[in-house]
Amino acid sequence: MADARKSMIKIKPKKYKVGDTVKVDFIVIHPMDTGMKKDKKTGKIKPAHYIDSITFSFDGKPFTTMKIWESVSTNPYFSVNYKVTGKGKITVDYTDNQGEKNSKSKKVKPKD
Amino acid sequence: MERREFIQSMFAVSAVAVVSTPSMVMAEEAKKEAKGSAKKGPNDMSFDEAVKVITGGKEVKDSDKITLKAPEIAENGAVVPIKVTVDYPMTEKEYVKEIHILNTANGNARCADVMLTPANEVGYFSTRVKLSKTQDVVALVGLSDGTFIKASASIKVTIGGCG
Repeated sequence: MADARKSMIKIKPKKYKVGDTVKVDFIVIHPMDTGMKKDKKTGKIKPAHYIDSITFSFDGKPFTTMKIWESVSTNPYFSVNYKVTGKGKITVDYTDNQGEKNSKSKKVKPKD
Repeated sequence: MERREFIQSMFAVSAVAVVSTPSMVMAEEAKKEAKGSAKKGPNDMSFDEAVKVITGGKEVKDSDKITLKAPEIAENGAVVPIKVTVDYPMTEKEYVKEIHILNTANGNARCADVMLTPANEVGYFSTRVKLSKTQDVVALVGLSDGTFIKASASIKVTIGGCG
């Protein structure tokens, strides 16, 4: 299930140096069903299906953890700041309430 | 004779009406409850409960250190962008520990709980939330010294985004 969902990490701005504060945006394609909406085709209520936890880490060290509830929009978007300390890899691990685990990573390449 | 029957029937109707009104109201309430329970999400929580769970009963002060950016009118309640920036130092000793995004009228009042560390450099978080109707969005911020501050913004929702 490694690449079951499309997700994307963006670092803004594109060019940055060591010591700069950058925005780390994370977007994932996910239905985020609340468990209250009806399926239009079958007329049955769709079971709740939403991302419940996200961890942002740099080289294995988590720097931001989130607990997410169903009130977050479909195909959610999360943005946090991060201070660049050097070369490495930002990894985002996320789990949903049906036990699906995924992760996405992006290299951090500061220019000097 | 006709008149008597008429009056009697009137009484009967009114008696039925008197008897029926409370029971009908009850029935309606029961219906509403049933509807409500059918629509209940898996982890419903009221706003006050959520605040209590997060703060542990501590006092929460309004603060202008938090900038909560949200649209005044959201045409589509399914996608409402929220942006929170906290004007507070981010050092090892004192930093923004957590940012909670709460709503006041959805089934579940909690949207997102974000735990930050000094590595974030700025107490900033942005996401998009679903809002069922016109309501307030509250950013509850926990600082490293254990105190809580908050800021809120009221958002007019034209089309609800839940269920």
